[in-house]
Amino acid sequence: MTTKKTAGVEDSYQIEGKMALPYSYFAGRVGSKFITTLRDQKKIMGVKCPACNTVYVPPRQVCDVDFTDIRDAWVELESTGTVKNFTVVRYDDKHLPRKAPFVLALIQLEGAGTPFAHILEECKIEDVRIGMKVEAVFAKETTQTILDIDHFKPAAEKASIHEVNARRKQWVPTDEPAEASTRKGGKPDMSKPVIITAALTGAATMRNQNPSVPYKPEEFAEEAYKCWKAGAAMVHVHAREDGGMATHDHARIKATYDAIKDKCPELIVCLSSAVGMGKTAEQRISQIVYIKPDMASLNTNTMNFGIVDRKTGKIFIDYVFENTFGMLQDFGKVMEENGVKPEIECYDMGGLDNTLMIGKQGIFSDPMNFNFVWGVAGGQQFRTEAFIAMMNALPPKANFTTCGVGMDQYPCIMQSCILGGHMRVGLEDNIRMPNGALAKGSYEQVEVAVNIANCLGRPVATTDEARLIMGLRKR
Amino acid sequence: MAHQKKNRNVGIIGIGQTKHSSHREDVNQPELIHEAVSLALKDANLTMKDIDCVVHGNMELFEMVHSPDLWHVLGTGAYGKDSIRITTGGTVGATLSCASDNLVASGMYDIVMAIGFEKLQEGHTTGGITNMACPLWFRKIQAGALTGSSAYDVEREFGLERADRASLMYRIIMDKHASLNPNAHRAFGLDFSQIDDLIRTSPKLVGELKLIEMCSQSDGACCVIYACEKKAKELSKIPVWIRDHITVHKEENFTIFGYDRKYPVLKTHKFAAEQLFKRNGINDPLNYFDVFEMYDPATWWAIDWIRDFFNLQGDEHLRLIEEKEIMIGGKMPINPSGGVIGSNPIGATALVRVAEAALQVRGNAGPHQIPTPVNHALASGFGGTMWTVMTMLEKELNW
Repeated sequence: MTTKKTAGVEDSYQIEGKMALPYSYFAGRVGSKFITTLRDQKKIMGVKCPACNTVYVPPRQVCDVDFTDIRDAWVELESTGTVKNFTVVRYDDKHLPRKAPFVLALIQLEGAGTPFAHILEECKIEDVRIGMKVEAVFAKETTQTILDIDHFKPAAEKASIHEVNARRKQWVPTDEPAEASTRKGGKPDMSKPVIITAALTGAATMRNQNPSVPYKPEEFAEEAYKCWKAGAAMVHVHAREDGGMATHDHARIKATYDAIKDKCPELIVCLSSAVGMGKTAEQRISQIVYIKPDMASLNTNTMNFGIVDRKTGKIFIDYVFENTFGMLQDFGKVMEENGVKPEIECYDMGGLDNTLMIGKQGIFSDPMNFNFVWGVAGGQQFRTEAFIAMMNALPPKANFTTCGVGMDQYPCIMQSCILGGHMRVGLEDNIRMPNGALAKGSYEQVEVAVNIANCLGRPVATTDEARLIMGLRKR
Repeated sequence: MAHQKKNRNVGIIGIGQTKHSSHREDVNQPELIHEAVSLALKDANLTMKDIDCVVHGNMELFEMVHSPDLWHVLGTGAYGKDSIRITTGGTVGATLSCASDNLVASGMYDIVMAIGFEKLQEGHTTGGITNMACPLWFRKIQAGALTGSSAYDVEREFGLERADRASLMYRIIMDKHASLNPNAHRAFGLDFSQIDDLIRTSPKLVGELKLIEMCSQSDGACCVIYACEKKAKELSKIPVWIRDHITVHKEENFTIFGYDRKYPVLKTHKFAAEQLFKRNGINDPLNYFDVFEMYDPATWWAIDWIRDFFNLQGDEHLRLIEEKEIMIGGKMPINPSGGVIGSNPIGATALVRVAEAALQVRGNAGPHQIPTPVNHALASGFGGTMWTVMTMLEKELNW
């Protein structure tokens, strides 16, 4: 401690002191696991609150919002994230981790609900922007601290699916009988683009299950556009009233269809000819004739179509979905006559056989487009061997796509993609992501489907390619 | 002192404490707090939804965390609730209790949760207490606990041998109590036969103040839930009623390095006790109270303060100790919990006094429950250079 003259004041002194501030703190078990997994496995772990679905990174023992104990609810995060905010440190001090100037950024990892501060390097300070994508660079040697992530750097820019498609050669049809024979052997042509469809709503998925379900035409348009941007070539639509009920009202369905087409003209729209529970045959088909969409669903079997508790077998809603041979025949004819390509919905092998049987009248134009639907309460669950059996029963020129209810969704689309088929995702079938989190919208599931296609080296179909493959009218 | 009757009665309906310990590497600060909060909620059979307001307290800067109550929301459950932070030094736990009592009594809130906390293993307490001290300019080192001056006083009055033996007797009684309390930090298993050895062998800190006579440095948290009379009766089978509390402080200079007769130290306890008992019509506190949870940072202060609190004459206070009347089963059991000498997570310590006194009134303190019925309990808090907070608890609403 010293005393010195106060600058500029003759008769006053200033006492100068110095403090040492040693301290230590304990990260606790939860915090320590975060550090040790970072150190030993180069994995960034967080915890996810089951009550409010917030993913906390770094992890904490208790969710402060709802006071849920989340110490064991571990999830693994991506090492990429987004800059939420940043500051430039412009003074040097020995306690700082870098020589000034350097950037400290608030970075929110993919899948995380909370950001944390870290160093951002390998880019010019003036290029740092809020919203920029960054990725973690792990330290070569551990310090057993958060600096086991040495720093973040700008993430390699990932080209959008449309940029990728623009760079590659457009797909052209090949010799189809040859394709059908290799398909049977489980050796499909992996260079054939895979069509991704997003079923935006269905008739029964409500906002209380996932707030991203669109009801209004403009919401459909927005959601459809996001799906197209993410890589979907087609959306499947059940129009809704403002309150969320599925509707057969022509004006409302047309408004919804037109809103999507206005927002995203090239996107293929497949309307439902099921509409919703308790609709008459007339209500179901007249709207298709009225609107004449690119495509419409065609159901192949009268079946149970209920809601059953999968764990206990308890029946919540007991309902028979009527699709008689007569309806299959009449709807099919009407669609083909109006230039609407049917998407033939098969909930089991029986539906497929019904179609082939009634189809002998020569109703359906080639190529026929089948959708194998898994996991409806009343239909069959997804099984690999059932999938292959159905695929092998298809007529030679037919295409197939697939969709699965709930957690059947991801396994069945992956199976389809492997076998040369197409993929349908969307909130109609499943409200969640593969990790169990609520999907932010159908578009997030489209991103998963694009990933699957990327993993298998299959190009994602453009809308033009999809029209060509499925034999739709030109736009 | 000006004092008016309470607007409405307030009862303690939930109590939770961590095990106090020198080592809690397995939890961080909010996680430690969460343990106490969870236990108190469970004890009261409530959830955080039932809590209207959270009152948070610890020592300023002891863990070197600025505004710790903000971080601690992760453990306190105060998200979206009214919340108040209090720091009054060593008395903070007792002040938490007073504030919670007042907040409920005023009608502002029906149910208030008080949380006292300290994690002394982290941070640097001396740094927190002494920052920018300069004795020359009356910026005193705000260290209250370490003093040999009381030892000097007691020795001078009663002779070295008797004073030393009384001090160690008190220490061993506290150790025996702490051995019964599963939450206590330090319980060595000392015996009265060790008094002479300990006087000889325990390292001296200041004057006759020995290491064994000092309180511990602990990690721990305590949570107490207060409810208005209506809610307390609805929610709890055994609410403990807060009759009155008093706070007195006198930031007097006193030196920790030695004794100076010019500084009349440590008289706030006596003043506070006199005021409190007078306004509640208690003429003989030693007979009125069934148990006393006293904030006893060191044995010398403890033995001296017993005289102050109960307004005893001559060597009455020493005889209470020498005749083991302050033990569980004695005439005036003091600190059945083992006291501050047993466990000292500072921000929680004074709240632990209230909590332990309330447990004694409820009759379910556990192995350290005193065997005779407890209808009237007293708790004290101490801090700063000289702060006193006293709280009176009652079993029945009949005063």
